[in-house]
Amino acid sequence: MKISREARRAAREMFRLSLVDGRLNTARVKDISDRLVTEKPRSFLEILKEYTRLVRLELAKRHAVIESALALSEDESSRILADLKTRFGNDITAELRVQPDLLAGIRVKVGSDVWDGSVRNRLNTLSQQL
Amino acid sequence: MSNILQELEAKIEGIQSASTSKTNVGIVREIGDGVAKIEGLSGAMLNEMLEFPGGLYGLALNLEETEVGAIILGDYTKISEGDEVKTTGRLLQVPVGKELLGRVVDSLGQPLDGKGPINAKEFYPVEKIAPGIIKRKSVNQPVQTGIMAIDAMVPVGRGQRELIIGDRATGKTTIALDTILNQAKINQAGEAGGDPNFRPLYSIYVAIGQKNANIARVIGTLEEHDALKYTVIVAASASDSATNQYIAPFSGASIGEWFMQNGQDAIIVFDDLSKHANAYRQISLLLKRPSGREAYPGDVFYLHSRLLERSARLAEGYGNGSLTAFPIIETQAGDVSAYIATNVISITDGQIYLEADLFFQGIRPAISVGLSVSRVGSAAQIKAMKQVAGKIKGDLAQYRELAAFAQFGSDLDARTKATLERGQRVVELFKQTQYQPMDVQLQAAVLWSMQKGYLDTIPVERIKEFQGKLQEFLSTRKESTLSKILAKKQIDEEVEKELAAALEEFKVIFK
Repeated sequence: MKISREARRAAREMFRLSLVDGRLNTARVKDISDRLVTEKPRSFLEILKEYTRLVRLELAKRHAVIESALALSEDESSRILADLKTRFGNDITAELRVQPDLLAGIRVKVGSDVWDGSVRNRLNTLSQQL
Repeated sequence: MSNILQELEAKIEGIQSASTSKTNVGIVREIGDGVAKIEGLSGAMLNEMLEFPGGLYGLALNLEETEVGAIILGDYTKISEGDEVKTTGRLLQVPVGKELLGRVVDSLGQPLDGKGPINAKEFYPVEKIAPGIIKRKSVNQPVQTGIMAIDAMVPVGRGQRELIIGDRATGKTTIALDTILNQAKINQAGEAGGDPNFRPLYSIYVAIGQKNANIARVIGTLEEHDALKYTVIVAASASDSATNQYIAPFSGASIGEWFMQNGQDAIIVFDDLSKHANAYRQISLLLKRPSGREAYPGDVFYLHSRLLERSARLAEGYGNGSLTAFPIIETQAGDVSAYIATNVISITDGQIYLEADLFFQGIRPAISVGLSVSRVGSAAQIKAMKQVAGKIKGDLAQYRELAAFAQFGSDLDARTKATLERGQRVVELFKQTQYQPMDVQLQAAVLWSMQKGYLDTIPVERIKEFQGKLQEFLSTRKESTLSKILAKKQIDEEVEKELAAALEEFKVIFK
């Protein structure tokens, strides 16, 4: 679906209003989206889609994905989470994923930043450099 | 054998120590026509290389709020939506150096000629800022094109940008090729002469959006005349992607800059920039950049100005070399006031305008005297040429005006008649067969004989024959006089006497 320029602009404006002190406010997001659906302004579906995308991207910035080849123990995951919280603040959420593709090691992704300590990544760089 | 093993182990060690790398990633949201929209990549930099899966690379051209627009180098059909893209922190680079001479490469510097890998020691970024004011030096050394009409009337200097403009099939590429062939000829003679101060002039030919058959013909011509060994060919043919066509002239300029910054001289031919503008327009429209006149993007002027600004002559402390650019523009029905044509005319230091009418009248090269100029002018001529060619351009312009006027009446005064007669002979003299560049000393001698009136008694139909035989006579029998012109770089009294004697002698032989 093509989203018009006006819809994009409206979605951006709504997104700006959903931020409090630079952080996404859940109550405001809910309020704004509810009013959008009830009031049904022109091309509201487009606006809602674009708004959802912006919220999704913003949420991803505060969400860590921790991938490991084998399931991490309770101790390991809590240590990683604690470290992430000191780096990014207390409101960061995290999710654990098992990714056998990595062969060994872990890969942490926060927003679009990636810290890759997996064997797969090392092998890739090795194959590129040799 | 153990050495190799140790080396490999050391390499692995080096990589392992920096094993956890921080990168920035994004997800391909849209892909098509060589352009990708990538979500994420919040840390991407402008013009940075992006790594796609499968060893493909792209260039980040549009940095937007939540997206990055990138152009793909290579086969974009292998990329699909949802693929992860990584930043690399590197800029696009091409191999540079003398290793490239005699080779045909693509716009990324990869060989296309099947002569094996290029073992270049240095790499230059494709996009580079042009040298500043302090680093430059004024242009005053000539580039001998070997085409008498150009060397006499629109002289080109080392470090100049001279546009070659004209309709299709009027001999634009031929002029560029002639120039390259003449450099090869001069280089060969210079190397054989063993002069320690001799500065060879290398050539770079960048083909943008050309038919593969044309590129093959150019290579064939260069090979035939043994000029390929002084030439680098950068080819982005019509079948290459718009991305490659867009990058090709910048890669060529980087290859040329290496010569410039290492105390050597080079010329670069961009064949042609109209197609380059079209490729850039395609990329810009696909990236959804706002379009302007004729749907070209707003920065199409900057595209060419930043490219041509990179050719310069550098001062002693800053490289002491030069890069001379010959951009080519193809006009439609002789319209020099088209958008891209006027842009490039205003950027360059002069233009050689080729006219289709002249071409079909048999005046080849079909250089229009009135519209061709060189803003560096006679500063880039040796004194001998200045002596003999100083007034030719004005005389010829006067002749053209009178010739149009004289068609109506037969009663002409003696002065008008003389101007017409002289003009006709000069036009004949400037006709030159393709791929036969002329040495500057020979040009000076021929023009001297014209200036002194030795040609006035020869019928116009026999001028070409006279010229041909005179050149043969001078270069076989009066070689010493010619080499004196070359060595002294001027026609002094001694040379003048010798030339006069030679002409008298030749006139007796010529029947």
